[in-house]
Amino acid sequence: MFGKKAGTEELEAFYPIRPECVAEIPKTRFKPRAGKTLSARRWQAAFSETGCLDIAKVLRRIQRGGIHPSIKGLVWEFLLGCYNPNSTLEDRNQLRQQRRERYSMWKTECRNMVSVIGRGNFITTPIITDDGQPIEVEGCRVTSAVSDKKVAQWMLILHQFGLDVVRTDRALAFYEDKANQAKLWDVLSIYSWVDDDIGYVQGMNDICSPMVILLENEADAFWCFECAMRRLRENFRCSTTSIGVQSQLGTLSQVIKTVDPQLHKHLEDLDGGEYLFAFRMLMVLFRREFSFLDALYLWEVMWAMEYNPNIFWSYEQPDGASDSNYGQLNQKMLKQYGKFQRKNLETGYADKNNALAVFLVASVLETKNKQILKEAKGLDEVVSILGDITGNLDAKKACQEALKLQNKYLKKAKRP
Amino acid sequence: MAHRVDHEYDYLFKIVLIGDSGVGKSNILSRFTRNEFCLESKSTIGVEFATRTVQVEGKTVKAQIWDTAGQERYRAITSAYYRGAVGALLVYDITKRQTFDNVQRWLRELRDHADSNIVLMMAGNKSDLNHLRSVSEEDGHAVAEKEGLSFLETSALEATNIEKAFQTILNEIYHIVSKKALAAQEAAASASIPGQGTTINVGDESGNTKTACCST
Repeated sequence: MFGKKAGTEELEAFYPIRPECVAEIPKTRFKPRAGKTLSARRWQAAFSETGCLDIAKVLRRIQRGGIHPSIKGLVWEFLLGCYNPNSTLEDRNQLRQQRRERYSMWKTECRNMVSVIGRGNFITTPIITDDGQPIEVEGCRVTSAVSDKKVAQWMLILHQFGLDVVRTDRALAFYEDKANQAKLWDVLSIYSWVDDDIGYVQGMNDICSPMVILLENEADAFWCFECAMRRLRENFRCSTTSIGVQSQLGTLSQVIKTVDPQLHKHLEDLDGGEYLFAFRMLMVLFRREFSFLDALYLWEVMWAMEYNPNIFWSYEQPDGASDSNYGQLNQKMLKQYGKFQRKNLETGYADKNNALAVFLVASVLETKNKQILKEAKGLDEVVSILGDITGNLDAKKACQEALKLQNKYLKKAKRP
Repeated sequence: MAHRVDHEYDYLFKIVLIGDSGVGKSNILSRFTRNEFCLESKSTIGVEFATRTVQVEGKTVKAQIWDTAGQERYRAITSAYYRGAVGALLVYDITKRQTFDNVQRWLRELRDHADSNIVLMMAGNKSDLNHLRSVSEEDGHAVAEKEGLSFLETSALEATNIEKAFQTILNEIYHIVSKKALAAQEAAASASIPGQGTTINVGDESGNTKTACCST
């Protein structure tokens, strides 16, 4: 698996690119590295006889070299907290079955309202008017006026992500197949029905797409996406005056102000004090700055660094689980935390907007600090300078830089 | 990616692109600023910016264009988006009736959030897809006339009328600004004449040509 030629060629077979698009997308830097990347063999060896997973071992690998594409989906389910590493294989099979049934139930519920769901097709134009009157759309008919507010709200966004689905990862051969586009659309439909508080906001398609590709079973893809959204959904929460990600932008501003006041001042002078130029990076976790495979690599390294062994229970029983106290943790338990999370525990710094992604943006800004100070005379130039990272950033190194910056920030922020 | 380090321009105008999702805003932007069209374009997340410097009546004008996501929920960041904007290009898709019907909604938003003097132009994009047309050019003209907007049908794919649309906006902004500057000069000149009794209020955007009408 890690032979000399196991490089790019073999990798491309996992997520083939349409030949006509090869020139337009950032090149992939990720390469599986022996002794660093989590391989299928290592992964299997990390399970006990009953199927409990030695998460500490796995985390160590992922933080050093990502996950081999052949097992990404399976590992992500653990990283994102879909499954408890201390559970047995049987526990998990049972839970998987329950979740598949629950998904199927929701899907039926949705299909009873909008017949196109689950039919390998989807819509890109509205099916009802703003006041709930049905609009004739080919292949999908709403039979009567919709008065229920939740139903109407949901129906009104279905075409929105239809428009986005056709524009998602088009360079990948995977989405040449309409059935796969429909799979992405179906997952987003069910999600927006179940999480009506968030519904759908542009960008969620970019988060969902890798799950749909990595996990063949649609219900499994849904649950993996659902877990990813647990940590991201606040970013997508919209009110009439703000979008959730702005709190992370606020934290970013705080971090830069603390570690590099001169840069912060310069950005403020350019009318960039709100850091809107970093909006997309945080919202879709750098998907647009990296090739598909590199974005996956970045995500898994980030999630491994952010890993918290209580994650599964905090999702299953939100009221019951509580974070452990640093003092009560022994060395063995500490190893079940990712590096980033461990640092937060050590310093007792708990802020939910304090995601690794924020420090990642901050460290990217820091690497470009001289150029921004010297050359950027407008926000467009800030964006274009930051655009240089596209295809030029190594995910692991970037995360390590982010950790260093987190360290620096925590030290400075602590001082009065 | 290269960066232009020269900042030799007489005016900087901020222009915003608005309109429903999928009408082609980002491709209009890339056509105008880089002469590129991307068939594989993705949805815009948050705000994107690009600039191009053009000549308007012998002056160097830098157009800083802001492009944003079309989804209504993204309107939450509008205050930052419209702040300082002196021009807007409101785009709909001639093959999708609803994007044209929504023009009213966008006009309302402009009235609520943008400067009342903002120079506005409406563009019916994707004119290359004439065989799929669901909004006639007459309908476009009728709305434009009723709302007092300039109007063009455009095609970012075929590069039809994209230059013209932006040139029209920039010319109009330039005229307003230079008129204001002129009025300010005259006002300043007459105010300095001793004995003149009237006090002329020189608005805050007049006088300084370099920053007049600028956002940044």
